[in-house]
Amino acid sequence: MESRVVNKGQISELLDKLAKDYNLIAPIKEETMTLFRRVSGAQDVLLDYNNSDISPKGCFLPQNEKTFSYMYTGDTLEINKPEGVQKTVLFGARPCDIKAILTFDPVFEGVKFGDEYYSNKRKSTVIIGLSCSKVLSTCFCYAMGGGPCDGTGSDLLLTEIGDKYYVEVNTEKGKALVDAYSQIFSSQGAEQLAKDKEELAKKLSGEFVRKVDLTGVKEVLDGNFELPYWDGDNAKKCIGCGTCTYVCPTCHCFDIFDYPTGDFTGDRLRCWDSCMFPEYTLEAGGHNPRPTRKERIRNRFMHKIKYHLDRYNMVGCVGCGRCVNKCPVNIDITKIINDLKEVAQNV
Amino acid sequence: MSNPTALTPYPATITKIDVEASDTKTFTVVFDDPEIMENFGNQPGQVCMLSAFGEGESTISITSSPTRGKFLEFCVRRVGRLTSVLHQMEVGQKIGVRGPYGNGFPYETMKGKDLFFVGGGSALAPIRSLIDYALSEQYRSDYGKVEILYGARSMDDILFKSDLAERWPKIHNTGIYTTIDREEEGWKGHVGFVPSYVEEVAPSPENKIAIVAGPPIMIKFTLPVFAKLGFKDDQIITTLEMRMKCCLGKCGRCNIGSKFICVDGPVFSLAQLKQMPQEY
Repeated sequence: MESRVVNKGQISELLDKLAKDYNLIAPIKEETMTLFRRVSGAQDVLLDYNNSDISPKGCFLPQNEKTFSYMYTGDTLEINKPEGVQKTVLFGARPCDIKAILTFDPVFEGVKFGDEYYSNKRKSTVIIGLSCSKVLSTCFCYAMGGGPCDGTGSDLLLTEIGDKYYVEVNTEKGKALVDAYSQIFSSQGAEQLAKDKEELAKKLSGEFVRKVDLTGVKEVLDGNFELPYWDGDNAKKCIGCGTCTYVCPTCHCFDIFDYPTGDFTGDRLRCWDSCMFPEYTLEAGGHNPRPTRKERIRNRFMHKIKYHLDRYNMVGCVGCGRCVNKCPVNIDITKIINDLKEVAQNV
Repeated sequence: MSNPTALTPYPATITKIDVEASDTKTFTVVFDDPEIMENFGNQPGQVCMLSAFGEGESTISITSSPTRGKFLEFCVRRVGRLTSVLHQMEVGQKIGVRGPYGNGFPYETMKGKDLFFVGGGSALAPIRSLIDYALSEQYRSDYGKVEILYGARSMDDILFKSDLAERWPKIHNTGIYTTIDREEEGWKGHVGFVPSYVEEVAPSPENKIAIVAGPPIMIKFTLPVFAKLGFKDDQIITTLEMRMKCCLGKCGRCNIGSKFICVDGPVFSLAQLKQMPQEY
């Protein structure tokens, strides 16, 4: 694997160049929120953030996305898809959020049905990851197979060390980018920084305060759909607000609907949906297979720690801690995992 | 082969509308592009997403068998917003259709066997594709006796009246049993609910597959009857319905455990269903 070095002093120059040559998506501060948006240059980009409030999943699955427009003209019906996508750089994504994108891949790039909207964006986007420089109290990526300095899924991974960024070149796409800006990406001092990065990764891995261990949890769930545990506190506390699914980087559920723009024209859109809403599964005939919060909570957590594993051999949680942090009634997936381990001893 | 453009419907035209009951119509639909019609490749038990542009999309089973010709029939009960818009449409109007989706019935492994269909209410629609497949001139000799037991709430609610009364009984080696829930003036047939009628007709499990579709309450009371008659779990096939948006296994909502009904179903044997969580 190749590596490079960027002086901190040059990061603005790099961002300005990227914004000029690409559709650049980077973390920004918008009022009280940290989130990912298209930026016009380095001045907008927030580099010292911990974990964004909203993950960059919208880069590949936008919150609202037009899939086509329709138009009736006389006797014919025309369906027009949006123009091709722009080449994009997603800059500053944290390792957990990049891992979350990897959990999207098998969903949207399935064997039988692909998804051109997703795939086109995925193909034309270079992901520049940014290692975490601290571990938050809600973080537990280590328990989901990730880590604060884990470059899996990124094309380039930047790690801040002193007055430099150590750059790991993980893919051909990443290599092409560093080659294109070779005046910014140098090789000098990379060896020492590689060692420093290892040190940093080791130091950070000791800073997690949440003790979470998935071992054996899926096995309990495999044979026990009807655990009385699901009737407990979580189902009673949940207010069904959907915040967890909105902030979750691995939640990919969507709704499809039409937005008429005239009597004979309109757009078909898809937008994020939430399994925590009763209407999500409500059938036209009135039947609802998941009628109460108990079923909906069970489904959401089973999806994360069992169903996604069953189907795609990947845990559907990356340990970003957003749902733990944002849930208004303190429903905590790490507590659920630990509770289930306890429940396991009694079934 | 992966189909990346799967979210985009093809323009199609309504060529015929049959009024089945006060709240149910069957739409015959043909794609505007003859090549798409030719290569659509729908199989019995599969479903499509129908678009009424401006309102959205809905999952509707294909009620016609591919053996009947190059068209698709959709039997639609008016229950929600999209189906209400469809019901206002006229012959010649355009809709969007994408599909076909789902696994369909295991019609190959059913060959050489007798088929006993049980349908309740509007659920005759999804099984009719297989009935007509097995009764088609082309494949009739591949299957044994084909029996259809159908129950509706009232005389008006009986779907596919001419199929039940004329078309199917005329075909060699068939048996048709129709029942309505309550006595009604002018009805000379059987009266009573589906489960008890199945018990009365008492099909023998020997070399037979039962295909059961209907409202959950009917299924719940019919399955034990088949068990009592000696049918094994893998001799009973059913087709499920769940709310769907994409029909591609991506939008999330139609899962039962880790299975998605839209791509892994909608057809399951009772043996398979017993392996899944009871959440449908």
